[in-house]
Amino acid sequence: MNITSANSSDDPVLQWVTFRLEDETYGINVMQVQEVLRYSEIAPVPGAPTYVLGIINLRGNVVTVIDTRQRFGLPSAEITDNTRIVIIEADKQVVGILVDSVAEVVYLRESEIETTPNVGNEEAARFIQGVCNKNDELLILVDLEKMMTAQEWAELDGY
Amino acid sequence: MKPHKSQTALQNYLDGLLQEAQVELQEARQTELPVQELESPQILPTLTTPAMDTVVKEPTPDLVVAVPAEAASAGEGGRPYWADQPFECLLFDVAGLKLAVPLVSLGSIYPLDGDEITPIFAQPDWFIGVMRTAAGNLKVLDTARWIMPERYNEKLRDNFRFIISIDGHAWGLAVNAVHESIRLQPESVKWRTSRAERKWLAGIVIEHMCALVDVQALAGLVGEKEKAQEKK
Repeated sequence: MNITSANSSDDPVLQWVTFRLEDETYGINVMQVQEVLRYSEIAPVPGAPTYVLGIINLRGNVVTVIDTRQRFGLPSAEITDNTRIVIIEADKQVVGILVDSVAEVVYLRESEIETTPNVGNEEAARFIQGVCNKNDELLILVDLEKMMTAQEWAELDGY
Repeated sequence: MKPHKSQTALQNYLDGLLQEAQVELQEARQTELPVQELESPQILPTLTTPAMDTVVKEPTPDLVVAVPAEAASAGEGGRPYWADQPFECLLFDVAGLKLAVPLVSLGSIYPLDGDEITPIFAQPDWFIGVMRTAAGNLKVLDTARWIMPERYNEKLRDNFRFIISIDGHAWGLAVNAVHESIRLQPESVKWRTSRAERKWLAGIVIEHMCALVDVQALAGLVGEKEKAQEKK
């Protein structure tokens, strides 16, 4: 690895907000994250797709909350004190994603990120941006824009 | 169930369907006539061009179908016409979910005490039956099956306690509980600008975090489904 200055344009340092789902740690670009909320009651919306848990009232705004476990192909889990709703901006929309817990913000150089083979058959594989070894742990980096199709994003706007 | 009561209700229901079919047949014939006239070479003006000929086609099914539910109730910016000013809403429960519906779209509320609804055989599963009211026969809709099929189970029907009739339609919504009426400002609703899916969902009442149902659009969808069933 080349030793360069912290913010070298050749190997920029990016910040990632990490969260836990099941036994894995995932990272999302900090620029996509608006805020992190404690779990609050989510009002279900009739007729919504299975990956939509419902809506919350965020300072007078209706925010749709997505079941991240369902999107990642994981089984559902009980809500705990550590459960969080991460408010993100993706596809020009503000939505919430439900996660088991939020960990920390990590700094990663672009050179530290390894791309994953594009041979996965699962739909969830399309939004994995790469992986990174950090603190003896494998961090899975996800691109939330690709978590849903353009049509699914458009439908979210209707909730 | 008393045979006499059910026979009368059944007869009235079938008579109503028969009249509607006759009206539709008449309308279809009137709509087809202008197209047939255009196709006749003797009627077309002498300025006929190939472009005009290609425009003259056989009538499409759209010409005889009722106005889509969305167009019938859509107003400015996707808002229904009744949402241009403050409006009154009724809050009610269906399958544990709170819903809101504008009072202007409602007719009457009928309590269910016993066997007021007469089931009709060979009907779709979303059609519970017919209820006789002073205003005429009311076709009762299984609201939960329409609005929240993902949460539906057969036991939900046992808990319907009221029927809310839809103004201008012979349909009534079966609901579990009826709550208070509230006054809403148009700004207190997050309106749906696109209703490609779930045309009956007008928006979300922010303060109550509940769905605002456009029952006129719902009645339109039910009507389309009804016609589709009749053609089978």
